[in-house]
Amino acid sequence: MNEPVHIFGIRHHGPGSARSLLRALETVKPDIVLIEGPPDAESVIEYAANAEMKAPAAILVYRPDMPRRAAFFPFAAFSPEWSAMRFALNRKVHVRFIDLPHSHQLADVPADDGTDPQRSSYIPPDPLAILAEAAGYIDSELWWEKMVEHRSDDRGIFEAILEAMTALRQELDENPDITERRREASMRQAIRKAKKESFSNIAVVCGAWHSPVLGDLKSTAKSDAELLANLPKVPVAATWVPWTHARLSYSSGYGAGIESPGWYAHLWQTTTDVESAWMTKVSRLLREHDLSASPAHIVEAVRLAESLCSLRHRAKPGLAELNESAEAVFSFGSHLPLSLIHDKLIVGDDLGAVPLNTPKVPLQRDFEQHQKSLRLAPDAAIRDLDLDLRKEIDLNRSRMLHRLELLDIDWGNIRSGVRGKGTFHELWKLEWRPEFAVSIIEASIWGNSIVDAADNRTVNLASTAHGLSALCRLLERALLAELPSAIQTLIKRVEEESAATNDVVQMLESFTPLAKIARYGNVRQTSSALIDETVRSLALRISIGLPAATQSLDDDAACVIYELIKKFHSSIRLLQNQEFELAWLNCAVVIVDSSGVHGLIAGRCCRILMDSGTRSHDETFIKLHRAINEVDPQAAAAWIEGFLSNSGQLLMLDDILRTIIDRWVCSLTDESFEHLLPLIRRTFSTFEKPERRAIGEKIKRSDKIAVDADHRSSQLFDPRRLSLAMPLLNLLLGDGKEARV
Amino acid sequence: MTYLTGEPLTSVLRRQAEDQYAEELAEISKFDKRIRPDRWKLSPWAVCSYVLGGRLENGFVISPKYIGDRRTIEIAVASLTTDRALLLLGLPGTAKTWVSEHLSAAISGDSTMLVQGTAGTSEDSIRYGWNYARLLSEGPSLSALVPSPLMRAMSEGKIARVEELSRIPSEVQDSLITILSEKMLPIPELATQISAIHGFNIIATANDRDRGVNDLSSALKRRFNAVVLPLPKTLEEEVEIVRQRVADLGRGIAAPIEPPALEEIRRIVTLFRELRGGITLDGKSKLKSPSGTLSTAEAISVVNSGVALASHFGDGTLRADDVASSIVGAVIKDPVNDRIVWKEYLETVVKDREGWKHLYRACREQA
Repeated sequence: MNEPVHIFGIRHHGPGSARSLLRALETVKPDIVLIEGPPDAESVIEYAANAEMKAPAAILVYRPDMPRRAAFFPFAAFSPEWSAMRFALNRKVHVRFIDLPHSHQLADVPADDGTDPQRSSYIPPDPLAILAEAAGYIDSELWWEKMVEHRSDDRGIFEAILEAMTALRQELDENPDITERRREASMRQAIRKAKKESFSNIAVVCGAWHSPVLGDLKSTAKSDAELLANLPKVPVAATWVPWTHARLSYSSGYGAGIESPGWYAHLWQTTTDVESAWMTKVSRLLREHDLSASPAHIVEAVRLAESLCSLRHRAKPGLAELNESAEAVFSFGSHLPLSLIHDKLIVGDDLGAVPLNTPKVPLQRDFEQHQKSLRLAPDAAIRDLDLDLRKEIDLNRSRMLHRLELLDIDWGNIRSGVRGKGTFHELWKLEWRPEFAVSIIEASIWGNSIVDAADNRTVNLASTAHGLSALCRLLERALLAELPSAIQTLIKRVEEESAATNDVVQMLESFTPLAKIARYGNVRQTSSALIDETVRSLALRISIGLPAATQSLDDDAACVIYELIKKFHSSIRLLQNQEFELAWLNCAVVIVDSSGVHGLIAGRCCRILMDSGTRSHDETFIKLHRAINEVDPQAAAAWIEGFLSNSGQLLMLDDILRTIIDRWVCSLTDESFEHLLPLIRRTFSTFEKPERRAIGEKIKRSDKIAVDADHRSSQLFDPRRLSLAMPLLNLLLGDGKEARV
Repeated sequence: MTYLTGEPLTSVLRRQAEDQYAEELAEISKFDKRIRPDRWKLSPWAVCSYVLGGRLENGFVISPKYIGDRRTIEIAVASLTTDRALLLLGLPGTAKTWVSEHLSAAISGDSTMLVQGTAGTSEDSIRYGWNYARLLSEGPSLSALVPSPLMRAMSEGKIARVEELSRIPSEVQDSLITILSEKMLPIPELATQISAIHGFNIIATANDRDRGVNDLSSALKRRFNAVVLPLPKTLEEEVEIVRQRVADLGRGIAAPIEPPALEEIRRIVTLFRELRGGITLDGKSKLKSPSGTLSTAEAISVVNSGVALASHFGDGTLRADDVASSIVGAVIKDPVNDRIVWKEYLETVVKDREGWKHLYRACREQA
């Protein structure tokens, strides 16, 4: 009779392993397949063979009472475990998971609140590195690839792995960590159980590292039972969630630790002419993006990869050689093709899918809990919701709706325009659509609670968004949704983008909201040092770049910058920081003193300098005169507008300023006065009505004094001629009644 | 190797690589048991060892000619074994010419088959010219033909070098296409052609950052494998390169000078790396990059002119004032945009950095 227990040591997510395993399973024809995986998820294994199920997908094991304590077990199409599961399910053979149950592993509550679920599974140091090193490889993956995955002839491979691992584990004389020992004990127990249930042909699929210790069932029976006795236990639930190739790679949170899932998928799908097929994929991808890549290129790239390979004494080109030759042949010194190849082919953007009837994911539970506590039931009909943000519950509702929006679940749509009316009212239009159920499952790759998911999603959006204004819009949404780490990331990104951009307008736009955060700190947990640093560098950068940005603008562009400068100035004053103020005032000096600046902007800067005391009134007076008398009337009016607008009160209270303007109006010739009248009138129309009246009163009074004084001292003014000007002046400054001199 | 000079060899300002490193090449060849492609003096593996340095079985030490990534050189050498020619790309000062010279010295034992690309390079210097006296007296014949270095390399099965390929006018560049794809050079005047024999290939160099260059046509691009020679990876590596080169060049100055303080070099290299990379070395803040290249070669010349200034007009010690003006000159190539970039960098980074106060002050005065 055959050996009743077959142990297959595999490399997790190794396509070669998967292929060898399938072939071995076909030969062995087991009556039960035991897989290294969480037994808590046994109830959901059956979904793996479901027609709607598409890898990559992950089994999620979590505590229903604490969804953040969770573990993901991702499977790709080329994962040996996935192949083993589907093999067993398709042949109606029993299949079981035999790892240490997560009801034990998730039982202990770590010191922090467990925000980092992937840390909960114990990751052993790479034992294969030692074997690889002995074979002269720096990278253990590469070694395994060459020894196992690249072999076309795989007979006896599992015996060889078993032998190598046995030798390795003896050599290392390691004292494995208690969790590791428990896991192995649990696997052995499961094999014993299967034997007892009189399965006669048992296949065990486990990581190569574990393979040597699972064969010995007799001598360990007693110690295993002891190891597994009295472990703490909590209820856990399991389900499937869709996964992505990007998430299988190193760069993302719950990474499975494979850098090149796309390449593995290629190895899984292609058995012959791997290199040529890969290069063909590469060139087709490049052609799609309008980069030149002809069949001649493919030939050359494959040949170069092969000669590189022989230079390095390898049997077959690996991904490294293929990448290097692609770089030399296709990219011609540009980084674009390589990063394209990396993102689209080496990692790939495959997204898995799970059947709709899989058990609920924690995010959905969290969502339902929120619906209950916030008393917002899903309703297919459209209804309006008026939120008063001063109330706790409404504030929370608003936050949740904003968070859902960031997750692309548009249950609520905010009614635009209403927000401007009052800061504490929000009007929403709610409409629940059934497909949101799917959106929630999809969103669950971002996190297990709405706030976590929205936070992670926004961090991801932030890292891909380009342009300051896009980032600032996102920042605004993140602020409304109150997502602490997303806000951090966004501020960091704003800093980066502002450093790289030459667009002062965008910097000015982003400055105001940041200055507000820096001043009022209305966001929880946002590191103020980070904001301060960003605000500082933005303020300095704007002050350096603004003079160049104000050169040669047409009326419309000047108007935009003018409004932004006003906001910038008030933000700077809000921050009350001497350094910024000094930098900004120096910048204003440069603007005022340079030619070719639009009057609107020059006038405003001049005014800012006068108000701050940087420039004296006399100096300002000289500027005022020069600006008005030397350029065309249109520009003069713009200058006056920039200088005076929206500050009628100042003109009313500040005698000196009023005198300057007054003197100017008086010194104008009749002709130019008539010319300028409509323009000046426009400026004065921005003042409030009572202000205008008060200014008129004051002018009248001071004129009387002046006239009296003139009468007494000399005949500087001719009262007769003055009275001719008065009706016009009154029309301009007064309340419309007849002038009385 | 012949040098057309009456002076002894030692006074030649610079000797060819195969001449200067003849001993190393001979030693490597002795121990090189691997397969050599036709007419290669060394196997591809031995060529890599020659360029990158190492120790032979008998303890003979090969000096490294190129400090950097091994795989870059491996790709370059592997390219030369294929049908395609090799194009070395990179900023000025990334040792493109240096690498191409040593590769051809190691492969063909001859680095003199050289065409220098300029805006005035004509088709004659790539294909062939005529000895007009002979042409007139004897009529067209092979003996009246003046072969270009490329043509000679083809018939001798050697590596030809084309320097600054992208400076050559586009229509002249394209005359390389026939040579590279058909491996032959037609001579219509004589109704014959020169065919390349095994061992022939071309190493071209080009600058991928400079303006005013002639971009390669895609037909020509397709016949080259491009290898980008990167800038030095780490700050330490770059500081070391600058220090060594400055020490070499320092001998040219008659006045006795102190070697420049490592700190000063480190500051300059840091400044160049940060502006070039668009990010501070601690990775905390992003920066704008100026339009200039700011290569290692420029850092070397900044330190050099600083040293010259200090030794001829100062007290011999390199100070911030001595380098400030040449730093500003190196950074600000475009009077408007680069000035903004530089001011931003000064105000947001240099100003608050520990130990950089004097540099900040010196640079501010310059601006």
